[in-house]
Amino acid sequence: MASGTTLRMWRRTLILLVLLIGVGFGLILFNLIRLQLVEGEELKSQSLDQSLRTTSLSAQRGSIYDCNGNVLAESASVWTVALEPAYIEDEETCRLLAEGLSEILDMEEEDVYALTQKNTYFTYVKRKVETSVRDEINAFLQENNIKRGVQLIEDYKRYYPYGDFLSQVLGFTGVDSQGLSGLEIQYDEELSGTSGRLVTAKNAAGTDMPFEYEQKIEAQDGSNLYLTIDSNVQSILEEALKQGIVDNVVQEGAVAICMNVKTGAILGMAVEGSYDPNDPFTLADEALQQEIDALPEGEQDKAYNNALQKQWRNKAVSDTYYPGSVFKMCTGSMALEEGIVTEETTFTCTGATVVAGETLHCWASRHGTENFVQGLCNSCNPYFMWLGEQLGAFTFFKYFNAFGFTEKTGIDLPGEGATLYHGADMGPVELATESFGQNFSITPVHMITACAAVANGGYLVQPHLVERIEDSNGNILSTADTTYRRQVISEDTSSRMVSILHTNATSGTAKNGYVAGYRICGKTGTSQKILEDNIDKTKKHYIASYCGFAPADDPEIALLIFFDEPEGESYYGSAVAGPVFASCMSQILPYLGVEPIYTEEELERLDTTVESVTGEGADTAKTKLEQQGFTVIVKGDGDTVLAQNPAGGEKIPKQGTVVLYTTEDAQQETVTVPKLTGLSLSEVNQTAVNAGVQIRITGAALSSGVCVSQSQSIAEGEKVKQGTVITVNFIESDTVM
Amino acid sequence: MRSVPQAGPAARYSEVSVPETGRKKKRVRKKFKIFSAREGVDRPLFYLILVLLVLGLIMLFSASYAYSYYYFDNSYHFITQQAGFALVGLVLMGLISLFDYHHLHKFAVPLLLVTVLLLVLVKVLAGTSIAPILNGANRWLYVGPVNFQPSEIAKFALVLIFAHLISINYHKMGTFRYGVLPYLIIVLLLAGLILVENHVSATVIILAIAAVMLFVGGVKLRWFAVAGGLVGAAILYLVLYSDKFSYALDRIMGWLNPFDPPQGVDTWQTQQSLLAIGSGQALGLGLGQSRQKYLYLPEPQNDFIFAIVCEELGFVGALVVILLFALLIWRGIVVALNAQDKFGTMLGVGITAQVGIQVILNIMVVTNTIPNTGISLPFFSYGGTSLVILLCEMGVLLSVSRSSSLDKT
Repeated sequence: MASGTTLRMWRRTLILLVLLIGVGFGLILFNLIRLQLVEGEELKSQSLDQSLRTTSLSAQRGSIYDCNGNVLAESASVWTVALEPAYIEDEETCRLLAEGLSEILDMEEEDVYALTQKNTYFTYVKRKVETSVRDEINAFLQENNIKRGVQLIEDYKRYYPYGDFLSQVLGFTGVDSQGLSGLEIQYDEELSGTSGRLVTAKNAAGTDMPFEYEQKIEAQDGSNLYLTIDSNVQSILEEALKQGIVDNVVQEGAVAICMNVKTGAILGMAVEGSYDPNDPFTLADEALQQEIDALPEGEQDKAYNNALQKQWRNKAVSDTYYPGSVFKMCTGSMALEEGIVTEETTFTCTGATVVAGETLHCWASRHGTENFVQGLCNSCNPYFMWLGEQLGAFTFFKYFNAFGFTEKTGIDLPGEGATLYHGADMGPVELATESFGQNFSITPVHMITACAAVANGGYLVQPHLVERIEDSNGNILSTADTTYRRQVISEDTSSRMVSILHTNATSGTAKNGYVAGYRICGKTGTSQKILEDNIDKTKKHYIASYCGFAPADDPEIALLIFFDEPEGESYYGSAVAGPVFASCMSQILPYLGVEPIYTEEELERLDTTVESVTGEGADTAKTKLEQQGFTVIVKGDGDTVLAQNPAGGEKIPKQGTVVLYTTEDAQQETVTVPKLTGLSLSEVNQTAVNAGVQIRITGAALSSGVCVSQSQSIAEGEKVKQGTVITVNFIESDTVM
Repeated sequence: MRSVPQAGPAARYSEVSVPETGRKKKRVRKKFKIFSAREGVDRPLFYLILVLLVLGLIMLFSASYAYSYYYFDNSYHFITQQAGFALVGLVLMGLISLFDYHHLHKFAVPLLLVTVLLLVLVKVLAGTSIAPILNGANRWLYVGPVNFQPSEIAKFALVLIFAHLISINYHKMGTFRYGVLPYLIIVLLLAGLILVENHVSATVIILAIAAVMLFVGGVKLRWFAVAGGLVGAAILYLVLYSDKFSYALDRIMGWLNPFDPPQGVDTWQTQQSLLAIGSGQALGLGLGQSRQKYLYLPEPQNDFIFAIVCEELGFVGALVVILLFALLIWRGIVVALNAQDKFGTMLGVGITAQVGIQVILNIMVVTNTIPNTGISLPFFSYGGTSLVILLCEMGVLLSVSRSSSLDKT
């Protein structure tokens, strides 16, 4: 023991051991428990944060199709070019990149060079370049052996193949493919899908780490929308509106809505003037752009923004107006439903009614004694004021409310306008004016929805544009079911109103909307606009509209035509909107396969198809055609028919003329087209016969009554072959409200 | 049970001194054996050393390969070097363990002189290729292919000279002249020379080893009180009058708030270390799965390797490593206390204390328990000569164990 350790050494060593292991390791363990077991989760996520770089993977935005599967909007791959200045190796590469990229991307070389000099890891050079440009860049990088510093990121760009077609309804998207307007914003969530993420681990120097926890979350592509819109119907509406705007010198655009009255499906919704959603920030109206350019510097931006808002605005759902006399179909429905009148109930119009000391005029001087059907067909204001009075404000408002005018229609478009109206406590003057459609504001969609309720047995449906939504793999996610909001009037009342409106379109003020064989029902409307900023108080602004449906025996399609501020010869709904309505319906109904049923009177005037007799013997051909009721003129002295006018398959009036050419020379003969507008039916017939042409009549002339020709399909003075068919459109001569 | 050793080989520096009777000490001279393979080494100690060495090498490889690949284009740069040094170290350890440690008495003074010379040389040759200035400090000597820190040698030199002096003067440890003064001179000399190298951590370790050895060696406790008072006064002086105080205060604030340090204080390494430790949570990310070693944690193969151990092996793995070190310390102390004589005891205590202090200070730095200062983790941190020296010291410890009366199985 003497040479070895002493007891004191033992004692002191053990004290040290306790200190070292107890205190030293104790402190360490305490801290390890704190760091790893208590704060571990947070520290771990911090560590992950600094080492993980997340790159967003764009989801392809869903497409929009019409009901026939035509693509209305789709997204295609484009590329974003970005620089990583921190990773560009040397000055020489910077110069090279600036030169190459600026050439490929059509940019200033100095601008690109400036980007390469930025002290950052990432900067955009150009967004949304086409795939071909990306390929050029890749080739350039490979050629010059540049491995780092340029990033090409996949992105998507929205294409609208038909340009300004259906533009306010479709809307458009922004640079990040987010919906900014129309269906694009209404269904943004469904269309945009879910972007994916590429998570890569990077070391502190920014290069990839070989790591297991790298993960790619694939982007979930957006869903596709299938609309109730039928491109053919839409085209018919858009074309008709464009023509109507020109013909009637319309200042503030126009709207046409075509709706299935039973389901609320919108088949077409045309708004003029439209814009190109491929390029939404360019004003479609070039003249307006020039006007803005001419403004002083400070006012340009505001004017430009206002103009943009206006061109993007969907008048059909966002703008409100006084529906005018079109609303009489609603007031009439209320009165029939409540039993206040029958078709035979008479009232005497003296040209004006005094309500609470205020004289309210009829549009005509006086209608005299008329029954309910006549009152509606005359669009007589006093009759309807009287109906309003009989109903009383409470009942009137009950139905006003039931027709959906106090709420939104629920159409699947953004920015539905809020309506303005008087409540159940309205005064007698308000009641009187509201009864014939003035003094309250609704949107065109409200009006056509109410019209559909009158037509379909009294059911108020919810209008909609999207038929179904499918995911990117074609699985159906949702289908639009018809939403019946409520029954407003009984089926009996509805069918009586249909009948009355049919009479109106056949022989009443709505005659201009008539299409032979298709049992049109309709109501015209002309309303005065109340403009707050109207500087010229003497100038009156009108909205001309026509709202109707067909066929009367089983209404299917409702159509509303609406012109804002027509400044042509007439501003009346019957004169301005009626012919456009007829033109649209005459195309839409056959397209939708509605079978025409003609009255005997109509059949007489009906067109018939000419058979082709070219190549047959002149005599046989003549006999054959004459047997079919045509008048035949043979030109030349040949034995066989070389040509005929009208050609085989063309439609001409029954008892029309067919010219058969038997020699080459005879074909050279032409006649000059005479002026066929502004004439009565018989005058047109006479002029045409004299000139050697024949006519096809459309519009109001096919029904009875006084009408006047409004347009001709081949202009006056043109040289045509004898017997050529010229389509002449007739409208009611006594234009009515 | 510990038994009274057989009458061992006496020595020139025999601790068995004739009780003082006023006469000159009678010394019994006896030749030591050069080698003493008769008694086996302490097996638990030997196995602990091997396990720690192998585990250290595995973790060094895991911690270093990303850094190594990035800077040397070769993932194996550090591990091949370190494995080579480990082999050399193992061979030396084996040889030294066979070597009768009593011969070390003769080396105590020469080694101290050589150490002082080397330390002076570092200062004298500062800035030359032999002793370059790295990161504002020069503590390395480059001699041919070998580079080492004289301060590493100084630690062992201190252990050896203290063991030597304490063992021969054990009975006079109560006096100032024999119990305090020589040690004070030696420790102040070494610590001073290392401090002027700007090597604070090594200075602290030197002082700590000295304190441990003197404590066990039987210095009167009041001297510790005096030393403690002096150190306290020195710190107070620095705080009150030194212009470095605000810098130190910033360092301390950085230590307390490593994620929101004062301006100018770089706590990046500590931050990354804490993120690594935390990421490991209970079970770790798995061997080789550290994220922090990808250039986030600077030089993960060096002082902060334990953070990577924590990240990859989790709390459980860290606990195992700490337990292995605790067992090593415990076994080292057992070997020391059962040594044949006081020289063996003091050598064993010194060497074990050195390893223990380094382990504790290193892990405390890594876990931000104390402010960041450069202390390597024995067996784990990269550093060839440092590992060789460590294994040599382990050899000495094993040599001590051969002659001990311990049950070594």
